Amino acid sequence: MIRRQDTRIGRLLQSPTGMALPWIAPAHLLVWSLLVIPGIYVLWLSLQASTFGMSPQFVGLDNYRHVLGDVYFWRALRNTLVVVLGVVHVELLLGLGMALLFASGLPARRWLLAAVLAPYAVSEVSAAVVWRFLFDTQAGPANLALAALGLPMLEWSINPNHGLALVSLLSIWLNLPFTFLILYAARLSVPAELYEAARMDGATAWQIFRRITLPLMMPAILLAMLFRYIFVFRIFSEVWLLTGGGPARQTEVVGVYLYQEAFTFNAFGGASATGWIMVLISLLLGAGYMVALRRQSMGHGR
Amino acid sequence: MLLILCWSLAPIVFMVMASFKPGQDIFAVPARWQFTPTVQHYISLWSQWRGFFDGLLNSLIITAGATALVIAASTMAGFAYSRNRAPSLQRSATFLIVVRLLPPIVVTLPLFGVVNALRLNDTHLILILLYATFFVSLGTILMRTFIDQIPYELDEAAMVDGASRATILWTIIRPLARQGMMAVSVFVIVYAWNEFLFAFIFTSTRAKTAPLVIAEMMGSLDGVDWGVLFAASTVQLLPVLVFVMLMQKHLVAGLTGGAVKG
Repeated sequence: MIRRQDTRIGRLLQSPTGMALPWIAPAHLLVWSLLVIPGIYVLWLSLQASTFGMSPQFVGLDNYRHVLGDVYFWRALRNTLVVVLGVVHVELLLGLGMALLFASGLPARRWLLAAVLAPYAVSEVSAAVVWRFLFDTQAGPANLALAALGLPMLEWSINPNHGLALVSLLSIWLNLPFTFLILYAARLSVPAELYEAARMDGATAWQIFRRITLPLMMPAILLAMLFRYIFVFRIFSEVWLLTGGGPARQTEVVGVYLYQEAFTFNAFGGASATGWIMVLISLLLGAGYMVALRRQSMGHGR
Repeated sequence: MLLILCWSLAPIVFMVMASFKPGQDIFAVPARWQFTPTVQHYISLWSQWRGFFDGLLNSLIITAGATALVIAASTMAGFAYSRNRAPSLQRSATFLIVVRLLPPIVVTLPLFGVVNALRLNDTHLILILLYATFFVSLGTILMRTFIDQIPYELDEAAMVDGASRATILWTIIRPLARQGMMAVSVFVIVYAWNEFLFAFIFTSTRAKTAPLVIAEMMGSLDGVDWGVLFAASTVQLLPVLVFVMLMQKHLVAGLTGGAVKG
């Protein structure tokens, strides 16, 4: 027992850092066993040819070649990018508008806030049920309203573009509360004195927005944007529950493509390669997030 | 403003309303605002879809388990990270956040085989562990922020009295960090109650959650019974909606680090 304290591990366990290890162990155990190790295992799987009941065989980058040569993959990637760009930017615009509106002082703010946050509680499944109904081509209230305004109806089950539009609408509806709250917090952290000073100097509302609100909120807007890029990029449930990727696989996103490869076609190698392509793109976006975060914290001098 | 309210609430209002409409009125054109409310769909839900109520119970068990696990693990880790600022340790906190970049669907691939081999497939346990894993990072960082606000002098005073770390955590930190635990639990509860992807892949009968049963109703081939579907969606939504409304303050505090008062 005495000898053990002389070893390096013994010394580490006696140090203050070592004392902290048992405390962080449960959290790290979960993350390592269900995230990190499976993630690395997927990388290994992506270099093997494997399916159920077959021992894996090393095939190098063949799976990646297969995926990158698959027109369905490219269509899924294109669809994902369209949805990500549409959803995130509309969300940011709406969220920003709402944040400014809430910050300008509203009656019954508490109740309005509650109303705006309500979609956060709704599950993807229930949301899909309602939006399917709202945009029913025969009797959906939202589609009828579109028709009444002289606009074309969303024929989302037939027309792939309309399908993706409905997926995007649903996704925006579900996630706007979250984006709005981040932007609202950022708006409230802009010091009120700046606005007073600007008003005293006779600045117009547009000038105040352009010169004070926007630049000071910019770091938060960038963070929210990258954060949402990363999360919309993995979209699965909304698409699966609304269109199932159809008609004829035309509304698939990368998440759905991966699912199909793995669980419909039993092509675990191809699915794993797709998975790692997703990881790499996420890491790239994440690196951008870190850079933005560092720039923000330096800007605050912390 | 009216537009925003309409956008946020109309879908929910439509859903609840339709669940009380007589069957032929749901798809009436133009939409009928006046109708005789009926609980017929709820009765059919009860008699024809008993599985939905099993699903609710499964969801409840899984949500409770995941929440307890996340609170315990992230309070412990948040405590250590707040009181010990060694750079190597803080790097492991950053690591917890970085791994969250892995899309959930990616880990389903290797886990699918392992979970089957361990016979964890279709159990409450696997979903509890998965849900906890995906929120323990955020939970830890949130708890660290909240515990940072508890003066270290309190710890020191207790240490002078000979209290161990565990005693300090239990008697000083736990009561004072309740706010943080509430904020964390809101996130986990909403996520675990509504989650679809993992439940879809890892459960089939015994541990099937409520959202999964609803998806099944929606996909049933012999015509969708929309009234019952809306009734089920309403029942699934109601508890968590009430919960979010009651906990609004904590949700807002958690998301904004206390910048916004809800």
